[in-house]
Amino acid sequence: MGAPAWATGVCAGIHAAGSRDVVYVPDNPLSHVLRELGERFRDVRLVLATREEEAFGIAAGLYLGGRHPTVMLQSSGLGNSLNAITSLVLPYQIPMLMVVSMRGDAGEWNSAQVPMGRAVRAILDAIGIPHSTVESPERAAETVRAAGATAFATRVAAACLLSRQVTTS
Amino acid sequence: MTRLEATRAVVDAAGDGPIVASLGHPSYDLFVAGDRPQNFYTWGSMGVASSIGLGLALARPDVRVFVVDGDGSLLMNLGSLATIGLLQPANLVLVLMDNEEFATTGGQPTPTAHGADLEAAARAMRINPTATVRTADQLRERLRDARMIVAKVAESAPTAKPPLDCVFIKNRFMSAIGNPESAVRHPQCHDHVS
Repeated sequence: MGAPAWATGVCAGIHAAGSRDVVYVPDNPLSHVLRELGERFRDVRLVLATREEEAFGIAAGLYLGGRHPTVMLQSSGLGNSLNAITSLVLPYQIPMLMVVSMRGDAGEWNSAQVPMGRAVRAILDAIGIPHSTVESPERAAETVRAAGATAFATRVAAACLLSRQVTTS
Repeated sequence: MTRLEATRAVVDAAGDGPIVASLGHPSYDLFVAGDRPQNFYTWGSMGVASSIGLGLALARPDVRVFVVDGDGSLLMNLGSLATIGLLQPANLVLVLMDNEEFATTGGQPTPTAHGADLEAAARAMRINPTATVRTADQLRERLRDARMIVAKVAESAPTAKPPLDCVFIKNRFMSAIGNPESAVRHPQCHDHVS
């Protein structure tokens, strides 16, 4: 069985944005993206981090070294990342593409995921990170690509959220 | 050895190469030891200096990347040792200025004051070779080969601070190590040409 269409689209969008480094903390839906990247986008380097804040640090270092990094995380990990984002990524104007697998939105079964899931967009707004949401598998590639392209052009990190409706399709 | 003496040894070992410094006193002493464009001073993101150094080392395998971290800082991001041990970057040198206290915030003792051994932690995560040094001569010697060094240092009040402009620090750093941002290709910029 091949990767779901939304996951193939996310990979294509990351690639089209010029990103060849994906630093990640895994989650269940993202496993499809990781597998697809490993099999069909062999020029993309995958870097596993132990915690999301660490992932943002590694991505910042990759950018300083001339790369265009992507950080891939679950929405719950945004909370773990805020100090690195607000005191490194933003004040130093270090761009990166954030691909965020959403929990806590429509269809969630785990109440522990709900408060952060509900807060993700408000937090991103509060700290000034632009965000868009992939609403359908067909839109995945273009939505991810556009977020990355804007991030690297304007030197502000940008987030692309993957709704549960899409990642469970 | 004071942290400033240890920092001078790192600056000498780095030559023209990049040094990433953890916030607070490690950064201040790096500035005092020798301000240079290849210094990346962090003003926040406590704990993340070794991760920045790792990303840089992955992006630029052609340069030797030095990180000046603190014991309190590394303890905030111990997972970084596991990631470095997993990826085994041969061009990353993590120098831990271990003064056994949170000096920047008033000298509260860290767990290393009570025997926590961060060199052993690095070894347990498969970083090799490692060292613990107590003199500047020992440090200079081990900077040649070790990938992680715990430098037991005496706290000494830094006498100056680096520039506060984060974007200036970044731009200067990237240009100095050969990755000027102006040379970064932004495909969509061509949209505006016609």
